[in-house]
Amino acid sequence: MSMAILTDITKCIGCFECVAACKTVNGHEADKPYVFHINDGLSAHNWTSIVQKPDKHFVRKQCRHCLDPACASACPVAALHQTSEGIVIYESHKCIGCRYCMIACPYGIPRYDWDKPVPYVQKCNMCYELVKHGKQPACTAACPTQATIFGERKELIAEAHRRIEEIPGKYINKVFGEFEVGGTSVLYISDIDLGFLSYVVIPGTKALPKTTATAMEAVLPTFFGVGAVMGGLHWLVRRRQKLQRENEGSEG
Amino acid sequence: MNRLDVFKSVLWTLTGLAVATAITRFIFGLGAVSNLSDSTPWGIWKGLSVVPGIALAAGGFVVTAVIYVLKREEFHRYAKVAVLIAFLGYLSAATALVVELGLPWLVWQPVIYWQFHSALFEVSWCVMLYLGVLLLEFLPVPLEETSWFAGLRRFLTKYKLVLVFLGIMISCLHQSSLGTLFLITPEKLHPLWYSALLPIEFLVSAIAVGPLVVILGVLVICYMYRKEADRKTLSKLAYLGFIVIVIYGVIRFVGLAVNGKLPMIFDGSWQSTVFLIEIALVLVIPIVLLGIRKLRYSQAGLAIACFSAVIGLGLNRANIAGVMLQVPGSQYYPTIYEVFVSLGIVAGAIIVFLFCVEHFKIWDVKWKDPRERPEYCPRFDLGSDVWLGSPGVTERVKYSLVFALSFALGFALMPQDRIESKGVEEITVQKARGGDTLFIDGNYDTFGTLFDHARHVDSLGQKESCVKCHHMNVPLDKESGCWECHSSMYTATDIFRHDWHASPNGADIACDVCHEPQQERQKASAKKCRDCHIDLYADNTADIPDTYLAVSYVDAMHILCVNCHRERAVADTTRVALAQCPACHTGPQPDYLKAEMRDELSRPAPNHVMMPPAVLQVKEE
Ligand code: SF4
Ligand code: SF4
Ligand code: SF4
Repeated sequence: MSMAILTDITKCIGCFECVAACKTVNGHEADKPYVFHINDGLSAHNWTSIVQKPDKHFVRKQCRHCLDPACASACPVAALHQTSEGIVIYESHKCIGCRYCMIACPYGIPRYDWDKPVPYVQKCNMCYELVKHGKQPACTAACPTQATIFGERKELIAEAHRRIEEIPGKYINKVFGEFEVGGTSVLYISDIDLGFLSYVVIPGTKALPKTTATAMEAVLPTFFGVGAVMGGLHWLVRRRQKLQRENEGSEG
Repeated sequence: MNRLDVFKSVLWTLTGLAVATAITRFIFGLGAVSNLSDSTPWGIWKGLSVVPGIALAAGGFVVTAVIYVLKREEFHRYAKVAVLIAFLGYLSAATALVVELGLPWLVWQPVIYWQFHSALFEVSWCVMLYLGVLLLEFLPVPLEETSWFAGLRRFLTKYKLVLVFLGIMISCLHQSSLGTLFLITPEKLHPLWYSALLPIEFLVSAIAVGPLVVILGVLVICYMYRKEADRKTLSKLAYLGFIVIVIYGVIRFVGLAVNGKLPMIFDGSWQSTVFLIEIALVLVIPIVLLGIRKLRYSQAGLAIACFSAVIGLGLNRANIAGVMLQVPGSQYYPTIYEVFVSLGIVAGAIIVFLFCVEHFKIWDVKWKDPRERPEYCPRFDLGSDVWLGSPGVTERVKYSLVFALSFALGFALMPQDRIESKGVEEITVQKARGGDTLFIDGNYDTFGTLFDHARHVDSLGQKESCVKCHHMNVPLDKESGCWECHSSMYTATDIFRHDWHASPNGADIACDVCHEPQQERQKASAKKCRDCHIDLYADNTADIPDTYLAVSYVDAMHILCVNCHRERAVADTTRVALAQCPACHTGPQPDYLKAEMRDELSRPAPNHVMMPPAVLQVKEE
C-alpha cells in the first residue's frame, strides 16, 4: 500500500498551520537564520515550509518521498530507506554523516545539523509513526482548507486528475510528482509551474538510482574479471620468461 | 637551515594549524569552522582531500602490478616507495574523512549495515580493505629494522603476490566506483564532466597518473636529500603513464563528442575555461613532455610533466566532487580553516613519508657524493644508504616547538564570533514596515486597525522590547500576533446582558424565546447565543461547540458591527453616515494618535468605506 500526500496549490491560503503542526509533532526547536540555510524555509528544524510565490501562491515544500528514492540508494548504510508504505524514513543510529544523501537528492531536501557536534540528517518522514498506526500526518490533519490531503497514492492521483478535468484551465494539466524521477509520493496540482521545487532542472522521468545501477551490477564481475585478467597476464609473462631462460640455458 | 629544515618546519606548521582546526570542529560542529551548508554539503575536504587523495594513491597498485604481475624487474627499486605513497594517500583520505564526516566514530558502520545499491557503500568497503592490504604490503619494511615478528615478516614476504593481486582487484573496483558516486547527480554535475562513463574515466585516469605520482615522489626525495635520480627507469615508468594518459584522453573526448558536448568546451563560460585548464594540465602538457623522448629523459621535463599531471588530476577530481557539483544559489568558498585541514593532512602525510625515507630501507638509489655538500645529508651512511640514528635532540625540540606554536596560533585564529553565534547570521534591524504606524488588516477586507509601533516600543521597554514580538520561533520569522498580548479581544466571552435582552427598551424578547416554557428558567437549559446570533460567527468558527459564550470582540467587530453597518449603508442611501468612522468613534481621540490619524478618523469618509484605504497608502509611502 503506497501512501501519499496531495497538495493543491490553488487551495493553500499560506497560513503555516502545516509548518507549525510539523514542528510540534516532531518537537523541533526554534529556528534561527543560520548562514548555512537555503532560502526555501526548509532547515534542520523545519521539515516542511511554505515557499511564497507571486499573486498569493503558497507552495508547501517537503520531502517528496520518491518511489525510487535517490537518497536511499545513495546512503551507504541504509540509514535512509523506504518502508512498505512508500515512506522514506531515516534511522539516525545507522547514519555515519557522509551527507551523500544531500548530494543525491534531486529536490535538495535533506538538511543537516551544521551547528551540532553530533549532527544528523533532517527531513520529513511523512509522520511514519502516525501513519503506521493508521493515522494521518500532522500537517495534513492541520490544514484548515484541505489544501494538503493524505491518502493512498492511486486514489490521490485519480482525485488529482478529477480536479484537473473538472474545471478545465484552472490547473496546469499535470500532476506534479506522478512521473518525475520515477514518481513521488508527495504530489501537487497547481496553476503555476512547480519546477522551482528542485533547484536544478531534473532531466526526464528516469529514477536517479537507475543511473548507478549498471555500474553497481558490474561490481563483482569487475572484481573477479580484473583478478582473472591479471592472473592470466602473470601466467603468460612467467611462461615467456621461463621459456626464455630455457632457451638461454640450452644455448649456453 | 638547509632546504630540508625549511621544508619540515613548514610541514609541522601546517599540521599544527590543522590539528587545532580539527579539535575545534569536533567540539563545536562542522558549521563552526567550515562554510559547508545545506546547499553545499560537500566542500574541499571531500573535493580536495578525500577524492583526489585516493586517485593520486593509485600508483601503489599500478606500479606493483607492473613489477610483480608483469615481472618488469627494472622497476623493483620503486616498489616500496609506491606502496608507501599509496598507503599514505589512503591514510590521508581516511583522516580527511574522519574530520569531515558528521559522525566519524561510526565510520565503520558499513561493515554491519549493508546497502548494495550504494556506490559509497562499495567505496567504504574498498577503502577499509585496501588500507589493510597496503598495511600488510608495507609492514615488512619497518619490520626489517627489528628482529621481532620475523615470522610475520617472512610470511608477508612469501605471500606478497597474493597481497598484490588483492590490491589490484580492490583498487580497480574502487577507483571506478569513486566515479560511480557522481552518476547519481546528472542534474547537478556540469555536463562537461558528467558522463555515463565516469567510472571508467576515473579508473583509467588513476592508472595513468598513479605512476607519475610515484615518480614525483622519487624526484622530491632526490631533491630533498640530494640524491641522484635514475632517470632511465623513471622515464620508462613515465612512458607507461604516457600511454594510459593518451587512452584516457581518447575516452574522454570520444565521450564528449558522442554526446554532442564538444561545442560547450568553447562556449566561453567560466566552466569551459576551467575545463580547458584541466585538459591542459592533465592531458596536453604531460602528453607533449612525455611523448617527446628527449624531454622525457630530462629531469626538468619529467618533473614538470608529472607535476602537471598530478595537479591536473587533482583538479579534475575536485571539479567533479565539488566545484562543478554546485547548485544555483550556493555561494561556497572554503574558509581558511578548511584550507588548514586540507593542507595539514597533506603535510602530515609528507612528514610520515620523510620519516620512513629516513628510517627504513625503502630506497636503493645512489646518493650524490655527500662529501661535496656534507651539510645536507650528514646522517646517511655512505655504504648502506641508511639514516644513522634518529634526529638529534635539538631537531626534536625544534619541530616540537614549531608544532606547538602553530597549534596555539591555530587556536588563536579560530573564528570566535562564528563559534559563539553558532553560525547565526547577524540581521540588521529595520524600521517597522510602513513607518511608525502600521495599518493592520488581518482578513484583507480593507477594514483594519492602526498599530502604533513607536508606542509599543515605548510602553514595552524600549530596546528590550523587540524580542517580545520579534522572536523567531515561528516559521519564517513571524512576529507575535496581536492576540498574543491582547488575548481578551479574541477570546469568546460569557457576558450576557439578560436585562437588556428582556427589556422592552432593549431587545424585547419574550421569556420563552430562550427558555422552555415548562422548565425551570436556568442558564443551563436556555438557548445558546449562537442559536439566534448565528451570523455573529465567522465561517470557520461555525463548529464551536454549544456553549454559553458570545463571540469575541474581534469577531463582533468583523461580523456583527462592521458588516451590518456596511450592509445597511448600502441598502439605504439616506444612512450613508452609518458606515463612516465618526458613526462609532464619537469620543475624544486618544492622545497618542498622530495628527494625520486624528484627521483621518474624524473626517466623514466620502463613501461608505469605514477605514479608507487612503490610510494604508499614506502609511506605506
Ligand atoms: S525527495 Fe529527496 S529526500 Fe525525499 S525521498 Fe526523494 S530523494 Fe529522498
Ligand atoms: S549522511 Fe547519513 S543518511 Fe545521508 S547518506 Fe550518509 S549515512 Fe546515509
Ligand atoms: S508529514 Fe509529518 S514530518 Fe512530514 S511535513 Fe508533514 S508533519 Fe512534517
